[in-house]
Amino acid sequence: MIRLDNIEVSFGDFIAIPRLDLHVQPGEFFTLLGPSGCGKTTALRTLAGFIEPSAGTVHVDGRDVTRLASDKRQVGMVFQNYALFPSMSVRDNIAFGLRVRKEKSAESDRLVRDIARRVELSDEQLDKNVAELSGGQQQRVAVARALVLRPKILLLDEPLSNLDAKLRHQLRQQLKDLQSEFGITTVYVTHDQDEALAMSDRVAVFNKGAVEQIGTPQAIYDHSATEFVCKFIGDSSVLTPEFVAELNRLSGAGLHTAANSYLRVEKASLTRPAASGTAASGTAAGGTAVGLAGEVVSRTYHGLHSRYVVRSHGADIRLLVKEDGGAHPAAGAQTTVYVQPDHVLQYHPDTGVALAAHDLAATDQAGQDQAAQDQATAIR
Amino acid sequence: MSGTPAKSMLRSPFILIVGAVLTWFIAAFLVWPNANVLIETFFPDGNFSGRAAEKLFSSQRAMKSLGNSFLLAVALSITVNVVGIFIVLVTHYFRIRGSRILFLGYATTFIYGGIVLAAGYKFIYGEKGIVTTFLLTIFPGMEPGWFSGFFAVLAVMTFATTTNHMLFVANALKGVDYQTIEAARNLGASTWTILRRIVLPMLKPTLFAVTILSFLTGLGALSAPQVLGGRDFQTITPMILTFTNSPTSRDLAALLAVILGVATILMLAVMSRLEKGGTYFSVSKVSSALQKQKITNPAANVAVHAAAYLLFAVYTLPVVLIVLFSFADGAAIQAGRLSLDSLTVDNYVRVLTQPSGLRPFVISVIYSAVAAVIAVGGLLFVARILQKHKNWVTAVFEYLLHIPWILPSALLALGLIISYDHPNPLVGGAVLTGTTVILLIAFVTVKIPFTLRMLKASFASVNSSLEEAAAIMGAKTLYVFRRILLPLVLPAAAAIAALNFNSMLDDYDTAIFLAHPLVQPLGLVIKANTDGAEGVDGVSNTFVYTVLLMVITGLTMYLVYGRSGRRPGGRGRSKGRKNGGPLAAPGTAAPALPVVEAPDAKASAPSPVP
Amino acid sequence: MVAAAVAATLLAGCGAGAAAPDASSSSPAGGASGETLVVYTNSNGEGRGEWLAKKAAEAGFKIEIVGAGGADATNKLIAEKNNPIADVAFGLNNMYFAQVKAADAIEPYEPAWAGEVDASLADSDDDKAYWPLVKQAILLGYNSDKITAEQAPKDWTDLWSKDEFKTRYERVTGLGTATAQLVFAGILSRYKDDSGDLGISDEGWKQVEQYFQNGSPAVAKTDLFARIASGDVDMGQMPSSIVAEREKSFKVNVETVVPSVGVPLAVEQVALVKGTDKKEQAQKFIDWFGSADVQGEWAQQFNSMPVNKNAAAKAKPEVVEFFDGLKQQDIDWNFVQENMGAWVEKIELEYMT
Repeated sequence: MIRLDNIEVSFGDFIAIPRLDLHVQPGEFFTLLGPSGCGKTTALRTLAGFIEPSAGTVHVDGRDVTRLASDKRQVGMVFQNYALFPSMSVRDNIAFGLRVRKEKSAESDRLVRDIARRVELSDEQLDKNVAELSGGQQQRVAVARALVLRPKILLLDEPLSNLDAKLRHQLRQQLKDLQSEFGITTVYVTHDQDEALAMSDRVAVFNKGAVEQIGTPQAIYDHSATEFVCKFIGDSSVLTPEFVAELNRLSGAGLHTAANSYLRVEKASLTRPAASGTAASGTAAGGTAVGLAGEVVSRTYHGLHSRYVVRSHGADIRLLVKEDGGAHPAAGAQTTVYVQPDHVLQYHPDTGVALAAHDLAATDQAGQDQAAQDQATAIR
Repeated sequence: MSGTPAKSMLRSPFILIVGAVLTWFIAAFLVWPNANVLIETFFPDGNFSGRAAEKLFSSQRAMKSLGNSFLLAVALSITVNVVGIFIVLVTHYFRIRGSRILFLGYATTFIYGGIVLAAGYKFIYGEKGIVTTFLLTIFPGMEPGWFSGFFAVLAVMTFATTTNHMLFVANALKGVDYQTIEAARNLGASTWTILRRIVLPMLKPTLFAVTILSFLTGLGALSAPQVLGGRDFQTITPMILTFTNSPTSRDLAALLAVILGVATILMLAVMSRLEKGGTYFSVSKVSSALQKQKITNPAANVAVHAAAYLLFAVYTLPVVLIVLFSFADGAAIQAGRLSLDSLTVDNYVRVLTQPSGLRPFVISVIYSAVAAVIAVGGLLFVARILQKHKNWVTAVFEYLLHIPWILPSALLALGLIISYDHPNPLVGGAVLTGTTVILLIAFVTVKIPFTLRMLKASFASVNSSLEEAAAIMGAKTLYVFRRILLPLVLPAAAAIAALNFNSMLDDYDTAIFLAHPLVQPLGLVIKANTDGAEGVDGVSNTFVYTVLLMVITGLTMYLVYGRSGRRPGGRGRSKGRKNGGPLAAPGTAAPALPVVEAPDAKASAPSPVP
Repeated sequence: MVAAAVAATLLAGCGAGAAAPDASSSSPAGGASGETLVVYTNSNGEGRGEWLAKKAAEAGFKIEIVGAGGADATNKLIAEKNNPIADVAFGLNNMYFAQVKAADAIEPYEPAWAGEVDASLADSDDDKAYWPLVKQAILLGYNSDKITAEQAPKDWTDLWSKDEFKTRYERVTGLGTATAQLVFAGILSRYKDDSGDLGISDEGWKQVEQYFQNGSPAVAKTDLFARIASGDVDMGQMPSSIVAEREKSFKVNVETVVPSVGVPLAVEQVALVKGTDKKEQAQKFIDWFGSADVQGEWAQQFNSMPVNKNAAAKAKPEVVEFFDGLKQQDIDWNFVQENMGAWVEKIELEYMT
């Protein structure tokens, strides 16, 4: 549906995007994720036609649109602040594109009403001034305004970033529902990894103008391809060489002690995982959790769970313990941390590229990954 | 923020103190003197006299001049907007080659005006003007005196009064959220549609405000009609000034002034009506900085460039000629002939070595600076209170503070004289005439309406939660004001003070009535040195003073605006509003420069979830 | 208001500081009493002010000259009557001083030289408050390079009654100046008619109407002599004292018309300001300034015609001769003073176009 090939974007001397290739499938909810200044918005704006790339091509639905103006690309866009026209009513905002197209007023009226119904804006709201709407309603107006022209793709530029947490969660759902309802190919820009994981079919993680990894939320979470992705997505503990060496010693796994090693918080536990005996799914060395001695440094109570920091072999292992009524060690207590060696993410200390060593454990773990994912979301 | 009941407002000691001072000031210097003038003129013996109205309405000339003034005011409101918006767009909105140079050319109106400006245009388009001479070689049958009458006056005044657009509309434009433009483009709107349906509507409040200023300028037109109006297009202001100076005809002056004042108020009312109900401000807190637009149609692009540079020539030629002529002798100036070898610095030597020397400059600079600082400083408190509390009490105060817009400054000066040429308890029994203070009072008074409007607008753009945050931490009102609010509006306040300062430097109308004879400001010296009485040098002196004033006002503008000014240039996309210095300050003020109401909280803050 | 007070102090301080050099430059070797007299005048132009300050200093008077136009100086004197700044005023004509006196801002004083001047030119009341210094003729001048004496108009009325002049004279566009008011005083006085509007017959008003219907309107900031030099117009109103100097500046030759009824004479006066705290010094100054010696020198210097009979001998012969041959128009100044305000108003409203 969308293909960016060899895209390079520069502003004067500054190269914002050195080289970018992206393919988005029809109907996909595709997210560009990264910290601010990483080039994700630039990529989106290049796709929208606001920025002309210095090299490369953009295809939408098989058509080369690289040199086409924004409005000729059949892309709808929802801006970071919705960019509603303050001097017009809601109705006029939505009808703007139709009127520019010189659509007949009866037809335009019908289309506006139709789209308004689908995004659940009442007739009464249509006649309001945009300033009188709540944030959620404003978002729906922005989406309606973009969709009323029946674009082939919908671009969303951090539409939730300025809202408070509760509204953000609510609107995230609303956006996702709208997208499924319309079935439209969507490219979404955000710096919020939580949003990206929860909403996307696939995610492209950006760093310094380059894509670090493209994949499903699970893939980028569990198999972060680079150290950057690993650190940017999710929450993890940094492992020390001593810890890795101890792990190797206990399990016989061949982890690199010199690599930069990480362990996701939900992958460590204070009890031996019941279903950890998955010897069949890999070498016995990597698939079995082993216990390492450690001392509880701190515990923070969160209601649903508690967050622990356990110091073991020089590493501060962070982990979550479900508050299910069981007894839990307090700070200062000696305890055992259970870690499955093939959950350790390892990266080359110079290049930051994931090391193959633990790939030996990375065969089909979909079921387990899903479980971990579920757990992570539930706990959060 | 809106609708604080009057009663609760009176519980704050800060407001009570400011209110008391303000009440005294308004009573002593706005209401009492002007009421005196009006009573004395319309009720000469305690009975109402309809003489003035009778006289005026039966005078063909008065009616025609009045009509001309109105015609000019209305026409000017339109033409200044057309030209003003155009120059703002080419310097700030469209991608035009050399826009920085264009900006400097258009900005020349910041630093000069009045009779010399009219004279400058006459040098170029008058009967013996450069352009006319040139045109005559092409069209020998052309009327050499083509540049006169209504058309000439309108043209000159249009080009001379786009200053407000360059200041306020340009800054309001900077406040337009670029994302809305991109959104419109994405929805298929053309450059022209975006401009017409998205950008201009958002500028409406500012446009309304500058339209009022243009209207006022047109109504008060003085020098351009005198120089270029010819027989058929004279305006009412010269008549008002003549009658003001004649004790037996003062009632006519007052009546005329009241007519103009009423027209001004009507205009204000109409504009605020038009403005009401609209939202003109980005509904979002986060907006992106405006980027210059390329004009895609090549023909249109060429046309706009051509027009922009033609206007540039129109704007800059008079200035260049004025500077050149300031080095020529009086006879050459009067004849409008310039030969490069006859230019000398004699005029400057004469002006600067006369007995009074630089003293009038110093006096005027001090007077203007002190008055500007007092007006802005005092009104900072008032504007904050008026902007924050909206009820009938503040509304009354606000209207009273607009009195100086209704009466011409000569009448204001007269009112002060009538009221304070004898011991008056309102000022502690002092006689103010013949002191240096009375002129200062007049200067401050005259600048109140403009200052108040602008300050109120800039306070409106200050996030109220800042103040609340400070208050929660236990800060006292004054402390909050000084440490939180003041720094935020200070750039805008400085800009307003600079504009006030510049406009008072060469004041004549009030100074002639009120100046202490031994402390004469520049305006009087200029007048004395430029009227026929001083002989043929007078005219060259006018030019010298104009150039010197240009230097001072140019310097002031530079100090306030120039230093922050990497002016419009191609910038990469920058997210979020640039936190520019004073340059951006009136910008934050300008979008909120509405005629009557500042945007309420609803429009500028994201709405809470219902 | 504290700021205002500070500002006032500042301004005052600045005033005092800057005034000092002026005073010291005009301070004589001895005799100055140290009290500076403030003198208002509309006759300080073209070096008159500096000359007078210097001469006064030599005579032991420390003076500070404040220049302003006739109408402005009048308004100032009236405005400041309860807190006078000025000690002496001179240069204003009878019309202006009559207004000042009516406002009670000057006080009667008989100068030492009262016997040397024609008392009929002074304040016409019994308690004479202003006394004549210099005679000024209000003239109709024409470009003598273009127009011979025979061709020239013989009177103001010729300007609009004869076709050859109708477009060739400059007419005023406002009646704010003393010269313009005196021109109209001269014309209207001829048509005095108690039953007419404002004491003037219909015929008189018709003349005014004609004056404005014809003629080339004055151009702001362009001197009449410049317009004569450029050929724009050939004639217009002018006070006698400026003619010689302007002829030189603009390289034109101008002759003046003396109508059979005579020309209006403006008489510049001097008066003591009421309420001055330097009364004695001020009176001494008036005695000195109006004396035959000083007036003679002044006349010599500035081509003026002194009223003081003994000073006339020292004036330039050609000036004296001119005024000797000049027929003064007989104008009822009381009548003019009473009505000038109303006349100006009527003319501004009804006749100016």
